[in-house]
Amino acid sequence: MTNSPNPASLRGAFVAALERGDQFTAAREAKALLTEDRGLRQISFICRELERLSHVKPSLKPLKVALLSSFSIDFVRQPLVVQSFLSGIDILVYLPGFGQYQQEIRDPASGLYAFSPDIVILAVEGSDYMPEIYRDYMDELANGFDATLLRFQEDYQNLIQTFRQHSTATLLINNFAPPIRRQLGILDGQRGKGQAQLVEQMNESLATLCQKNPRVYAVDYAGLVSRHGAMHWYDERMTHYAKAPIAMDMLPFLAGEYVKFFRALTGQTKKCLVVDLDNTLWGGVLGEDGIAGIQLGSVYPGSAYLEFQREIFNLHKRGIILAIASKNNASDVEQVFTSHRGMLLKRQHFACMQVHWGQKSESLREIARQLNIGVEHIVFVDDNPAEIQEVEQTLPMVTTIKLPKQPEQFVGTLLQDGLFDSLSFSAEDRRRGEMYRQRDEAEKLRERSGNLEEFYRSLEMEVTLAHVEKTSLIRCAQMTQKTNQFNITTIRFSESELVERMKSPDWLLVSTSVRDRFGDNGIVGLMMARFRSGALDIETFLLSCRVIGRGIETAMLAYLCEQAARRGAGTIQGRIVLTPKNFPVRDLFERHRFARLEETTTGETRWMLNLNNSPVLWPDWLRVTTDAVATPENLN
Amino acid sequence: MEDQVKQVIADVLALDAKAIDEFTVKDSTASWDSLNHINLIVALEQEFQVSFDVSEIESMQSYSEILETLGRKLHG
Repeated sequence: MTNSPNPASLRGAFVAALERGDQFTAAREAKALLTEDRGLRQISFICRELERLSHVKPSLKPLKVALLSSFSIDFVRQPLVVQSFLSGIDILVYLPGFGQYQQEIRDPASGLYAFSPDIVILAVEGSDYMPEIYRDYMDELANGFDATLLRFQEDYQNLIQTFRQHSTATLLINNFAPPIRRQLGILDGQRGKGQAQLVEQMNESLATLCQKNPRVYAVDYAGLVSRHGAMHWYDERMTHYAKAPIAMDMLPFLAGEYVKFFRALTGQTKKCLVVDLDNTLWGGVLGEDGIAGIQLGSVYPGSAYLEFQREIFNLHKRGIILAIASKNNASDVEQVFTSHRGMLLKRQHFACMQVHWGQKSESLREIARQLNIGVEHIVFVDDNPAEIQEVEQTLPMVTTIKLPKQPEQFVGTLLQDGLFDSLSFSAEDRRRGEMYRQRDEAEKLRERSGNLEEFYRSLEMEVTLAHVEKTSLIRCAQMTQKTNQFNITTIRFSESELVERMKSPDWLLVSTSVRDRFGDNGIVGLMMARFRSGALDIETFLLSCRVIGRGIETAMLAYLCEQAARRGAGTIQGRIVLTPKNFPVRDLFERHRFARLEETTTGETRWMLNLNNSPVLWPDWLRVTTDAVATPENLN
Repeated sequence: MEDQVKQVIADVLALDAKAIDEFTVKDSTASWDSLNHINLIVALEQEFQVSFDVSEIESMQSYSEILETLGRKLHG
């Protein structure tokens, strides 16, 4: 609720998205509108536009919902339509008018059955159904309540059976909230048959009925009322004036509770939670603050992050698959998992880890691929609005959650919409985490057994690293012009430009040729690096896409290290200029333990390797030949 | 305040805000039924952070009466 002027542009964006049938954007814009003002006028506006443009919502799941109640529940219709839409569900509502639920259920010719609903909601206030316990409690005390409770159970059983004779729809029954005030005051909690306790017994009976009758579920109305507080939940003024006991600003929460069931019943339960790491699973930035500097533990704010991890762990125990999408150094993250004592979540709880500097949308795609699930089953959680936006733009069907600033609000934010809620919990759900853990361990074992290197070895590669010379000149210039994927800077050169460089003693121009068991690939790679003030500066580093993913780049870098050492350079430097196509090369320096120096606003990164500490070593999966005699004189 | 009231009425009753004036009364506005009357009252309460009692709810039968009642509420 705000007194700010109407956010007309937000509304315009919502309507425009709706008009062009862009369900995902329209839902996001509607959420933004509700963040601005979640009052009734906003809900009215959104609901009306949804109904006006109902013909352009083809991709939503249709659902026919009947609302039966003992009170005026018409007011929940608009919030219910809006919240359903936010979950990709297009509902058609049947409202027979309050107090009609008995007739509607018992009359085979009622409007309810003619409507042939998918879901029927039975919302009855305890005070309407059981005056003996709510209103006339003092009069009934002398009689005891056993007969009353038994009659309640029989009546509801009878109502459910009658309904089932005429309809196969799913039946959602509100359970009962205790009265706001207890007629015996503070004595109510002291005796066996206090009002609160009697209502609990009604709810137990109802739960038993739901277990016995297929497709009948209890909606925990009592829990909902107590979460929000009965004093806020009810509007006694409207109870009397309009027979509308629930306060208007609580209706969206009631609608939200029903929509959780709609989601579960239409198969929209999310299967996988993908989390960011920095300022999500812990406070702070690992790459800047270091493992000792991140916040996670018993003291605020670390305690709030720990609490968040505990709730995520609970999701894991419920059978939700966990995964990580983080921009970090994989080795740093592994270190947190192995040695940070605050980590409640362990490496084995995550079925998939995407820790690298690539786009988060790419990570999510890869996670979906590896887990063999659709991206629409993923919930992605991040604190960074830019990452959320990137994912929303690239993969609109992913559900995103932008975490608030305060970590103590993370748990509520993650769980409020019941995205992972399901109406069953099987032995398989309980074991799912274990199953993924086993799968993950098998994969790690394969990796440890050197599967990839085994593959490299099986290729029987012979790599020749040679200074660029007259005979290779044309091919080398051509590669600078054509190579897009495995190319760190994507700078294009002409032959004459290369010739100029070949004349200079500061430049090192090296071609890479590869032969393998299948034949000779010829020249497939090029490096150009320049000696400058004690460092070797790599300007061009490229490989033809025919031979990427074979570990050849390791040999090329090892060669540069050797050359640099020979000329007395202490470091090797390089940079990566991002292009839409050079994804495969982005982790080149990181994989070879270069240190990241800086990143510009355009996404260009600079890297450095100290040769005294960790030079790149020759890989043992290929044979290398180098020419020792190439000099600028070769040109002549 | 007047524009804000018009905007709330427009949103809840599906009217054009520009068409709302002293001739906008409950009895001659099709969408202003008893259900929407409650919606309108609550929307005004949310918008202006006030609470009307039942006699006030019943007195606000037109745009003019809404302005009058709300004005009294806000400015005493």
